[in-house]
Amino acid sequence: MADIKIGAYVCKGCGLGERLDCDELATIAKRDGKAQVAQQHDFLCSADGVKMIQNDIDNEGVNRVVIAACSRRAKTEAFNFEGVTISRANLREGVIWIRPDEDDLRETTQEMAADYVRMGCAEAKYSTPPASAQEKGANDTILVVGGGITGMTAALEAAKAGYPVHVVEKSDSLGGSVGKMWKDVPRHSPYTDPVDTGVAAMVAAIEADGKITVHLNATITKTSGAPGRFSADISTESGGTSTENFGAIIQASGATPYDAGKLPELGYGKSKDVVDRVELEQLAIAANGGPIKRPSDGKEVKKVTFVQCAGQRSSKEGHLNYCSGDCCLSSIKQAMYFKDQNPAIETEILFDDLRTPGAPGEDFYRSGQDKMITFRKGKVSEVVAGSNGPLVKFKDLILDEELEEEADLVVLATGMVANSGVDIDEVPQNEPGQWEVNVDSILNLNYRQGKDLPHLKYGFNDSHFICFPYETRRTGIYTCGPVRRPMDTQQAIEDATGATLKAIQSLESAKVGRAAHPRSGDLSYPIFRKEGCTQCKRCTVECPFGAIDEDEKRFPVFNESRCRRCGTCMGACPVRVISFENYSVDSVGQQIKNCDMPDEFDEKPRILVLACENDAYPALDMAAQQGTSYSQWARVIPVRCLGSINTIWITDALNSGYDGIVLMGCQKGENYQCHFVKGSEMAQMRMSKVDETLKTLNLEEERISTYEVAITDIDRAPQLINDMAEAVEKIGLSPFKF
Amino acid sequence: MSEVIATNQTILVVGGGISGMTAALEAAECGKQVILVEKNPSIGGRVSQLYKYFPKLCHPKCGLEINLRRIKTNRNLHVMAMTEVNKIEGEAGNYSVTLHTRPRYVNENCTACGACGEAVETEFDDEYNYGLGKRKGAYRPFNQSYPERYVLDPAIIGTADADKAKAACNYEAIDLDMGDSETTITVGAIIWATGWKPYDAGKIQPYGYDRYKNVITSVEFERMLDPHGPTGGKILRPSDGKEAKDVAFIQCAGSRDLNHLKHCSRICCMASLKQTTYLREQYGDDTKGTVYYIDIRAIDRIDDFYQNVKNDANITFTKSKVASITEDRETGNPVLHGVDTEGYDRYSNPHELVVLAIGMEPSVPADGFPMPVVLNEEGFVELDEANGAFFAAGCSADALDVNRAVQSATASALRAIQVVNRVAGAEG
Amino acid sequence: MSYNNEMIEKYRGNFLKEVTDNVEEGDWVKMCMQCGVCSGSCPLGPHWEHPPQEIFMMIRANKREEVLESTSMWMCTSCYNCIARCPRGLPITHIMHGLATYSRRLGLAPQQQPTAKFAQLFWNNLAKTGRVNELKLGLSLYFMNGFAEGVKTALKMKNIGLNMLKTKRMTPMEMLGGHGCKDAKGLQAILKKAEELENVRIGKSGA
Repeated sequence: MADIKIGAYVCKGCGLGERLDCDELATIAKRDGKAQVAQQHDFLCSADGVKMIQNDIDNEGVNRVVIAACSRRAKTEAFNFEGVTISRANLREGVIWIRPDEDDLRETTQEMAADYVRMGCAEAKYSTPPASAQEKGANDTILVVGGGITGMTAALEAAKAGYPVHVVEKSDSLGGSVGKMWKDVPRHSPYTDPVDTGVAAMVAAIEADGKITVHLNATITKTSGAPGRFSADISTESGGTSTENFGAIIQASGATPYDAGKLPELGYGKSKDVVDRVELEQLAIAANGGPIKRPSDGKEVKKVTFVQCAGQRSSKEGHLNYCSGDCCLSSIKQAMYFKDQNPAIETEILFDDLRTPGAPGEDFYRSGQDKMITFRKGKVSEVVAGSNGPLVKFKDLILDEELEEEADLVVLATGMVANSGVDIDEVPQNEPGQWEVNVDSILNLNYRQGKDLPHLKYGFNDSHFICFPYETRRTGIYTCGPVRRPMDTQQAIEDATGATLKAIQSLESAKVGRAAHPRSGDLSYPIFRKEGCTQCKRCTVECPFGAIDEDEKRFPVFNESRCRRCGTCMGACPVRVISFENYSVDSVGQQIKNCDMPDEFDEKPRILVLACENDAYPALDMAAQQGTSYSQWARVIPVRCLGSINTIWITDALNSGYDGIVLMGCQKGENYQCHFVKGSEMAQMRMSKVDETLKTLNLEEERISTYEVAITDIDRAPQLINDMAEAVEKIGLSPFKF
Repeated sequence: MSEVIATNQTILVVGGGISGMTAALEAAECGKQVILVEKNPSIGGRVSQLYKYFPKLCHPKCGLEINLRRIKTNRNLHVMAMTEVNKIEGEAGNYSVTLHTRPRYVNENCTACGACGEAVETEFDDEYNYGLGKRKGAYRPFNQSYPERYVLDPAIIGTADADKAKAACNYEAIDLDMGDSETTITVGAIIWATGWKPYDAGKIQPYGYDRYKNVITSVEFERMLDPHGPTGGKILRPSDGKEAKDVAFIQCAGSRDLNHLKHCSRICCMASLKQTTYLREQYGDDTKGTVYYIDIRAIDRIDDFYQNVKNDANITFTKSKVASITEDRETGNPVLHGVDTEGYDRYSNPHELVVLAIGMEPSVPADGFPMPVVLNEEGFVELDEANGAFFAAGCSADALDVNRAVQSATASALRAIQVVNRVAGAEG
Repeated sequence: MSYNNEMIEKYRGNFLKEVTDNVEEGDWVKMCMQCGVCSGSCPLGPHWEHPPQEIFMMIRANKREEVLESTSMWMCTSCYNCIARCPRGLPITHIMHGLATYSRRLGLAPQQQPTAKFAQLFWNNLAKTGRVNELKLGLSLYFMNGFAEGVKTALKMKNIGLNMLKTKRMTPMEMLGGHGCKDAKGLQAILKKAEELENVRIGKSGA
């Protein structure tokens, strides 16, 4: 790396020139910030201003750019220089917009600005332009686990985009649960009649596609590596194992039908003529378009009753506490099997809420009604044996009557249970250096944190985020189809296509060492100084993405392409041996230390604010936009995640005389909003330990506050800073000022 | 605006809501060249106007911030605001697209400092707040709007306000001579993500949206909850500004109805369930919510959200499509008339405020699609080979919630990539 | 076998099918999604035993007698509120009249239901001459429920009657035959033929 050459650029536009002494700021950049170049410009983000900076980069060798202008969230495109680090001293949203324009406040406003310039230069000095990860797996092949309609779609779509695929299917044929259906719900308008499942055509297309390799009767017995360089052991029933390399993985392991045997109250297992929806498909296939016959005596079914939500949407022990999403459509389709064959057959669907959403759903519902399927809002209490067939006891909720009806056949619309492998919170991983295949696992990952993907809820591998359904906690591995979330075939196909894109994106990013979402494009990666490591395992345990493994000596093994650059490991490390090129213990620590600390007699407190860059920091920016002011004592530093806060920053800050510290992270708990999963939770935990430090320093607990701040807390975030200023005024300045 | 360079390996995304942003970003982050056009002065779409998302009750602006950061730092992605597609000609892998850009009267010099906004005086109905509040004639559409630039309302052009705006700007950012412009570009594939619009509630005559002030739509209700919105985050009655603690939610307002929208809009059940939690958030135990519904479609694993709301003693559910609404002149309370179909109980229930869970109408250009497209009866774009490399994303494909819209957008990005990869392969 | 028994035999517990096949616009009944907007929209709603949406559910629940003997569908005044609002486009007004007609055809219509009675009186009055005889129709309505009741009603309505006489909206001469259409005989022939055709259509032998 060439010598560090800092160029600091002070903007005088947007009122900065009038409100601040920019000459002084430029001087400070040189004197305190050690900037070799310090220039001012009336309108820095203009083409001319940008050209000035680019010129210094090209001709003066400036490789650390400090922009002392607006917030890092503004004019990002203008100040987007390649091959250098860029630090933003936020003088507009961070200083002049949050401080009243009054003469007697000029001094403190200028001090604030001066500190941000010092902080910007300090950050620049301790950052390196990221050179992209060393580890660049270049494998293009995609592993698809599961050969149902979801997996087959993923395989075909990936191949269509030009990527080779291996499909690993546990059973002896492709097709999965849709392959065991007589027909499926229509996926194209008109949404009126059951259609061919399309499975045979897909299987044929896969067989004909030179880019797709299929492994039947096969499971994954070990997965290791990272995006761009995954390695998977594919073992067949006969005992053979082959090891293949992949760039990304799509998990389409689907769902298992709920065990209707758990529903004796609905007659299952008591009467042969009470079947679940999978068995009804078998009866339909056996009938092959002719009359469907009931299992007990082969009698043609003349009356069939469907019981919706069987064992679902219920908190009863052994029931599913969710809706499987596709059973209403499925029962309508199955009732059509009867009606289309013989309109005289009586078909009745007993439902609670009929869930046929969207245009296709509602069209299909109407078509069912048109075919004279009877829909009744009814609550089934029991199915027992009747004289000629199962007797359904239910309450008709519209007619408000308890009723009993006999049918030839009763179909229980049972739900789906995700095939999501083992729950890593319950099944411990093998010790490093040892390996045991878990037959219940889908992926058999050798990751430190467990063999399968973390479950979100009810065993599904869904993303936790509304805006980002493909967010995964195991980079490069994407789930889709009903293992991710209960869904119908049409959605599963859409989902598989989306997951395929993410898989491609992940392997393409790995090729150039770019981070995956949400810091997509970030080229930095964790750098680890092994000599200092005490093998405490905090980083390996706390990494929200399971990116860090352990070697046999319990040293962490960083898998750069699995890393999401949140910095949680950096925050966790007690000996501070983990850092990023452009975000490190020093790059933040030095900002804290480089603020000018007035001595006790100046009566100018300093409050350090560490704010999540995605939520709290924008909230403060937007407060500035609307002209809300907050304390002139605050010095705000955006952090990637509260999880990246190393307690050394806190103790250093306290030791160097800060009077109060405010941490602003995202909501934690079940509905956590942290995009790095548990950043604010961990910060809270770590701060509780800082309390000890406070005690040893004989400082008041009130000097540190940790808050959950949402991006919409535009009024609250400034208020929290003011609260701290008030608290400091009450308890007095810190005695640690030098 | 900088020169737009596009080739038959470029992907055009039409619509900058969450689906369009997602499709554009996902493709761009795969290394593809993408142009994103948006009709309005800012991208962000309807989710930027929501207070919270179901079922997590998190803030849409959080995800928007992430997406905006992705957009700002991605060199493969080019955003064109105030731009619509006029014409599409050609075939998959080689489309010629004519774009029409309306004048913003503010160029890229703008620093969003706000001086022009302070200088002008005339006020207009604020689209961002569905007309519930006012904005200036020089304005930033909302606090996260992107491109991060002000815009001048065309109505002030030629007035003193326009000159005031120009005079207030220190950066020569205001260009009153800006006119309409047309650009023709070549692209390989098109992702259509023009989203949805709330069904016109005034057409649901018996509900009196156009006659009773205290009958509002669900999208307006969302704006009320925004702490910086038209009511400062308070649930207030439009008629008298009083706190509304007894709120009724009418499901299928315009949806599942042959007189209006034939389809089920999917989101409205969850949206109303979510909105019942706003009542509790604001008033604690001192509130009452009533949901009038046909079927509660809290589909799949988020059914537990419904179970939780059902367990809230202050929220009741009535299986009934409300027949009509009248107004109690004295109190200003809308009175809902109908029949609880579970057991046939007639009601005439007064509530302080009525929220119509308004249906989603596919948002399509007034004069139709710029090329022949296979639609279903409801007006959503089908996935059909006849559409070539024209792929719908999000609510252009069906009535979808945010999660599914993003899923759909991600899928459409792959479909577009397949086409441009094929083109790239053919051209070596 | 009575026509009613014939139909019971034919449809054996599938009343929805029976309604679909035999009731005017009856094939719409299956499309109801039980939203209840019709029941809530009916101005006479509070007076119905079973509102339309409930009747539709009862039809699906095979409550044949309860539906056909019900007075409910006779309550319909053809205001068309329900049709205008039904989200599934059901011609509810027509279905109500269809059900009423069908129940009468089966001989199950409630004998004492005033609207049913009025309908019969109106028909009898009209079919005779081809014109409504206001005086006779009025009187027959007053005396519908017995002589004493009729006198009471007639006295109550006295002023309206006198006013109608004054303004020549009614004439006492109507008592003697009254006005009619040009060819009353021809009309009756037409009606007879229509009845024959209708009976053939519905497969009913004799009247």
